[in-house]
Amino acid sequence: MTVRKLEGTQTRLLQKIKESLDRLNEKMEVFIELQKHNSKVNPEIPDVLDVMTLLSLPDHLRKTAITICRLEQGTANDVAEQTKRARAVESSYLNQLVMMGYLKKERRGRKAYFYVEKEVGDKTWQRS
Amino acid sequence: MAKIVAVHSYKGGTGKTLLSLNLAVLYANRGKNVCLLDLDFRAPSLHSILKVKNAEYWVNDYLNGVYDIKKVLVDLSKTHAKRGRLLVGLANPSTEAIREMSAKDRKWEMKALGRLLSLKNSLLNDMEIDYIIFDTSPGLQYSSINAIVSADIVLVVSGMDISDIKGTQRMIHELYDLFEKKTGLIMNKVFADFLSTKGHRQDLAKKLMNNSNLPIVDMIPCFCDILRTGGTKLFANEDPDHPFVKILNRIATTVEKL
Repeated sequence: MTVRKLEGTQTRLLQKIKESLDRLNEKMEVFIELQKHNSKVNPEIPDVLDVMTLLSLPDHLRKTAITICRLEQGTANDVAEQTKRARAVESSYLNQLVMMGYLKKERRGRKAYFYVEKEVGDKTWQRS
Repeated sequence: MAKIVAVHSYKGGTGKTLLSLNLAVLYANRGKNVCLLDLDFRAPSLHSILKVKNAEYWVNDYLNGVYDIKKVLVDLSKTHAKRGRLLVGLANPSTEAIREMSAKDRKWEMKALGRLLSLKNSLLNDMEIDYIIFDTSPGLQYSSINAIVSADIVLVVSGMDISDIKGTQRMIHELYDLFEKKTGLIMNKVFADFLSTKGHRQDLAKKLMNNSNLPIVDMIPCFCDILRTGGTKLFANEDPDHPFVKILNRIATTVEKL
């Protein structure tokens, strides 16, 4: 009984370590990508993912951003299915778009969902 | 397979609306269910060409998030289509609406893009529409680029003016290609002598290409009788044997295969 308890605790601990490593890995990928494209996170970049922003993005990020616009929300896996690129690549691009302020990220259980933020109650939704 | 086709051009007055409308009617006459949307909010025109009176709801309302797309569409199947359905979404022609649409901010445009993208599900799947045709504003502006991003195919219409041809070339390579769109170029109002023989047509195509790869779908000569009607005649229905309609039928078949 005590041995089983100990095994259970170890498994949970290992699981937590794995999840932390996954998150760390994702962050590392983002930094590597940002460095690769010689870009910095600039707080002055407007965080609106409109067509003019889409046009200004590098090709690889534009493809990911348009896919999320089409899907409305999705995981790196959902995007990878559409773009036919590797999940890890899409995960990195999606996280870059989050850091640039164009996408939002939300964790639900073990999955990370990405989406374009839509404000509720925005005046532009009202009929003038 | 269902498709969204955006009809666009670099300059105004190239014949986008004439082509969009007649193409929509031709598809409906072939038994397809078609939805034609006027996305030229700066210069709305479908309402006057189709003589729709007392329209209450507009595409503007759909993009503003006020009404569902089904409420906005006017069903012209009985009067304008021989076999399939023809649904039309009109742009609000009032000066106030034009002013309002031209003053929208970037966040609104972003939401408008989301609404155009979601049409694919609501119209193509839920309402069994086969073709959605966007009649857009000319040039590079929000409403037209939103339409291009949402479309599967872009039909770009150009006249023979050198500034139009150069601008169209730039849009193909610097806009449509960036969004990985299937593009078809239609040269319109071409001097008839340039198209009189196969050799002449090939010479013109070669000259237009000028070392640039242009996806020319078709070339339409300038028809004085079309100009004479001042946009009041729906050639696809009222004069189906007109050479203009024959060329449009050819274009419709090409687009089906794109």
